[in-house]
Amino acid sequence: MSAPEIRQDPPLDDRARRLLKAWETPRGWRYWSAVNNSEVGLWYTIAAFTFFLFGGVLALVMRIQLAFPENDFLTADQYNQIFTMHGSVMMFLFAVPILEAISIMLLPEMMGARDLPFPRLSAYGFWCFVIGGVFVCGSLFFGVGPQGGWFMYPPMTTEYQSGVGVDIWLLGLSFIEVASIAAAVELIVGVLKCRPPGMRLNLIPLYAWYILVVAVMILFAFPPLIAGDMLMELERALDWPFFDASRGGDPLLWQHLFWIFGHPEVYIVFLPSIALVAMIVPTFARTPMVGYGWIVLAAVGTGFLSFGLWVHHMFTTGLPGITIGIFSAASEAVAIPTGVQIFCFIATLLVGRVTRSVCLLFVLAGLATFIIGGLTGVMVALAPFDYQAHDTYFIVGHLHYVLVGGTIFPIVAGFYYFYPLVRGKQLSERLGTIAFWLMLIGFNVSFFPMHLTGLIGMPRRIYTYPAGMGFETLNLVSSIGAFILAAGFVVFLWDVLRPKSKQDLAPRNVWNAGTLEWLAEVPDKPWGVRSIPIVKSRYPLWDQENFVRDVDEGNFYLSDAEETLRETLVTTTVDATPIQCLRVPGPTFLTMFAALFTGGVFIFSTYHWWWAAGVSGVLSLVTILTWLWTGTALIPEKDRKDVGLGLELPTYVSGPRAVGWWAMFITMLGDMTAFVSLVFGYFFYWTIHEDFPPQDARGPGILWPLVSMACVLFAWAATLLAKRFNRQDSAPRFYGSIAAGATAAVVGALALVGACYFHQMDPTRHVYPAIVCALVLWTVVHLAVGVTMHLYCLARRAASRMTSRYDADIVNVTLYWHFMAVTSLITSLVISLFPLVS
Amino acid sequence: MNSFPTQSALDPAGQGAESIAQLFYWMSGGAALIWCLVIGLAVYAIRRPQAHHYRLTRLLVIGGGAVVPTVVLTCLLSYGLSMMPELQRPAPEGSLTVHVHGVRWWWRVEYLGPSGQPIATANEIRLPVDQPIEFKLFSEDVIHSFWIPSLGGKVDMIPGRTTRLKLHPTRVGQFRGVCAEYCGGAHAQMNFDVVVSDAATFERWLADQSAPASEPETDLAVAGKAVFSQRGCGACHAIRGTAADGLVGPDLTHLGSRLRLGASLLDNTRQNLRRWITQTHQVKPKVEMPAFEALPEDELTALVAYLEQLK
Amino acid sequence: MTDADDEFVPEKPDRLWSLTFPPLVWAVHFLASYLTAAIWCAKAGPQAGDADPVRVAIAAYTVVALTLIAVFGWIAFRKHRTGEATLPHDFDSRADQHRFLGFATTLLAILSFVATVFTALVVVFVGSCH
Repeated sequence: MSAPEIRQDPPLDDRARRLLKAWETPRGWRYWSAVNNSEVGLWYTIAAFTFFLFGGVLALVMRIQLAFPENDFLTADQYNQIFTMHGSVMMFLFAVPILEAISIMLLPEMMGARDLPFPRLSAYGFWCFVIGGVFVCGSLFFGVGPQGGWFMYPPMTTEYQSGVGVDIWLLGLSFIEVASIAAAVELIVGVLKCRPPGMRLNLIPLYAWYILVVAVMILFAFPPLIAGDMLMELERALDWPFFDASRGGDPLLWQHLFWIFGHPEVYIVFLPSIALVAMIVPTFARTPMVGYGWIVLAAVGTGFLSFGLWVHHMFTTGLPGITIGIFSAASEAVAIPTGVQIFCFIATLLVGRVTRSVCLLFVLAGLATFIIGGLTGVMVALAPFDYQAHDTYFIVGHLHYVLVGGTIFPIVAGFYYFYPLVRGKQLSERLGTIAFWLMLIGFNVSFFPMHLTGLIGMPRRIYTYPAGMGFETLNLVSSIGAFILAAGFVVFLWDVLRPKSKQDLAPRNVWNAGTLEWLAEVPDKPWGVRSIPIVKSRYPLWDQENFVRDVDEGNFYLSDAEETLRETLVTTTVDATPIQCLRVPGPTFLTMFAALFTGGVFIFSTYHWWWAAGVSGVLSLVTILTWLWTGTALIPEKDRKDVGLGLELPTYVSGPRAVGWWAMFITMLGDMTAFVSLVFGYFFYWTIHEDFPPQDARGPGILWPLVSMACVLFAWAATLLAKRFNRQDSAPRFYGSIAAGATAAVVGALALVGACYFHQMDPTRHVYPAIVCALVLWTVVHLAVGVTMHLYCLARRAASRMTSRYDADIVNVTLYWHFMAVTSLITSLVISLFPLVS
Repeated sequence: MNSFPTQSALDPAGQGAESIAQLFYWMSGGAALIWCLVIGLAVYAIRRPQAHHYRLTRLLVIGGGAVVPTVVLTCLLSYGLSMMPELQRPAPEGSLTVHVHGVRWWWRVEYLGPSGQPIATANEIRLPVDQPIEFKLFSEDVIHSFWIPSLGGKVDMIPGRTTRLKLHPTRVGQFRGVCAEYCGGAHAQMNFDVVVSDAATFERWLADQSAPASEPETDLAVAGKAVFSQRGCGACHAIRGTAADGLVGPDLTHLGSRLRLGASLLDNTRQNLRRWITQTHQVKPKVEMPAFEALPEDELTALVAYLEQLK
Repeated sequence: MTDADDEFVPEKPDRLWSLTFPPLVWAVHFLASYLTAAIWCAKAGPQAGDADPVRVAIAAYTVVALTLIAVFGWIAFRKHRTGEATLPHDFDSRADQHRFLGFATTLLAILSFVATVFTALVVVFVGSCH
């Protein structure tokens, strides 16, 4: 057995040494300032997996309680907190984050990129996630955990649970949702703009296709929940009656907003895991994926259809038959793309010569399990059957078959597959096989009986049940199965954690795979790839001659880092032609502090410590501005640079070719989605009320909202002008128009507030003034952000950090203002003119 | 030991439940078949080392992955949709209508008497067999869900909204209903009893229920009536024909005739009634009713005697 | 296939989002059908329970949507059949990228077509607001 240190690396030449220096991971305590995707991705994975174990322990505690009828192991309060936390942890702290974690870690490697375009954003997201997660989970140990279920239906959670539990859930998880959206922005821009040269749309690794779809889904699915969280917190903190029927509110609005998030969510956690399968299957079949185009169809098709399913969680709320039918139809349709992928995998296995491995065992377990979940899904998607199955253990069985089969087994397969890539050692096939059998048997013993338990009448979320109703045996079997499943995870965990210092390093590309991530050396170097290759195939390691040698010898792009700066390539969205040499920022503690202070705002607000929250908010603003000021849109020392192979690329780009512009655009799409959800709320109240606005209600009038709109449109025009004047290098006119724009924006905000104030609208009286005030609040906060951006550009120009040539700041701010103008337009028109026509 | 009737959707005793159970068996059979075929194919693909031709597998993707599922799903969806109008259609005009209110954590039930006066009861629903019955569903606090698995599907009770459900029992017997939507604290113990009987028995029962409470006859029961009023029970509970007119808790006018106590939690026996009054929170944690632990033994005996005879 | 194959492809660059046209049509059709049904049943229908206007409206939406999807599908199919190459369109050329986008869009058009028909199927069977 040869110890790792005996292995001799070839001596590094100067180019390689500079590159290594640029990408060096900080040491000692400064290690935690790292922002590189391999570090952040690893921390993210470990944190998400830790939350998974926590959620799993909660499940075992529940199974102990339910093992016997009339058990008193837990009280009702404890059980209700635990099942709420189990669902919330598994969904918000494990399923979504783990996919983002794995993607942050592996996506750049799969695309031969050195890093994602915004490493500090990833780090910020990670720290937000950890802080929020610990805060939410911690509440359980003080007995103040939320107990409204992971779906938090009002009015139970607004009027009947006065403790801080619900606030912890709302604010803590909103905070994490922000982190998820940050990661989504990062991943979308990563897939679209950071591919290696030559990796056209028809050559992208399937994983990246899936992640692109999923990240876009996150962008449109999470904001409605954030809007819902905002409404519910406003009701809890300020008594604005959005969900209080006695004052015109309606609990069903929450259900709509929650499930518009909640159903896509299922596919958000399922697709990335299937993406892992799509990487693993061709490797072990030793052949390219059959039906690449079909898989893209499945990913994109599922992404769309999954937004037409949300009402199937509300089939029993007494909606009209037509509505139910429409959603039932879409719920059946989504099974088609899902089935297609499974047949593509099987076809690939049939075409190839299969090499057996534990990875493949877990893939097979995933398929076998997921198909059962899919089939029961088709059953419950049929509304008549759902009338019986809804909210029973049948659903508990169904959803665990979907999530464990569709997510957890593939992730375990992914652990076995990618572990050698990340840690340089292989996991044990023997322990893996044991874990496989324990998990497969344990899972089915635990969850299969639940289908029957549900149909013989056991509802969900009950902490106790009487003897003599036929529930005892089934529940005991389920509990025993749960512990067998847990034993499987213990074996798996041991395999991952057991000391491996005596074990041989795994050979490079241990599975003989064909995709770029397997270029990674063993042990890995922090630079990702020695040089960024030109890709001509879906499986370059299989198809391109001398590919690995050329990469290693630095025969492709960016094999040097003359300025010892971190650099990666930006390419065009479709053809992947290189267009920019992107400088990505290095280690910093700023992101950690920014997350800490942002977390403070949410955490202090939970306890209504407004002063502390305010201070924390100011600190977080300062930190984020410092981060932007010192780390973004830096003026390069030279305009163009040679990236190798005779190619010269610009080092600074602004506008639609720049990654920053894309990030702003994508973020604002998400922001708009949240805003549209609020507007949806307004019209939702209109549909449910005979007269809306009510006869006697005070509205914002027509004048003030329209004045505000005029001011904001003026500010928008001024911003556009400022961009132009900056380009013309006409400083006085630039400053003038920015100042005019900022002033107009402030006046616009005041006019909106004035509309509510002068008409004495009392948002606690009825839902009509409440929803109008919510729209106003949203717009005013956005105007405040817009003005901050104006002032930022002003300062940038004054400090010569922005010039007529290097103008990314004002270009991105203009983009923000386009969205701002639309937001203001819609808000003002809806609140002022709609009452006239309704 | 309390005994409860069935609450199984697979033991149907109503039109809706019957058609849905049948649908379930068909779908399960189909699902099992599909699963065996797909997994059989996957295992075969892994175990057979020789490669298959690419063109053959493309047919598999098109046929197995796209065409067959589309055809199967179209048929299934059409069948499911064709069931909807019948399940959704309200019972015909003039059918028996029952109002049920979900309250944390029990059920307020109201029938309309022959002359249109409301008849209140709680946690127990009696129905005539072989006729459609219309339920109007309300909630007085949080969201609940009204479900009698043996008779048909469930419908939520939502504050500020009136929902409805039609059930059509086809078999005489006792069944159990449950709250299916998580509603906080004692959600697990929010159940009710359902008795389906022939029309004559039902009419007799309804006539009994519409009468005011019977006057106590034994001395003990008379004393119990006094305890009921002195201890303030009437602030929450109503007993028609007496001064007790509370609306917070269940109507007790005919408590003695009910099958179970505490929202189908305990059999309605003397012993259990005593337990319910004195150890309320051990029996049903989180319940809103205060426990009368310190009630003197003689008062308790009298109170129980009074309540028992409210047939 | 090499770069010589690229001559088959029109000069105009391909757009990634052309992939989303067919499912976007489905989405708009779906949303329009849902909103029409929801608003009609909330505002006009609950008393009568009758939803014939909704059926007519959804039928009309469906004709428009299916036509659009068919058009997008046909355009995409012609992209897929540009030149002489066959599946799996995995060559490193603009032409194969063009064909691949066409192929994936064709498949999405078929899926969107089926999903739209599914939505329309509802008003064939269900005709009231109950």
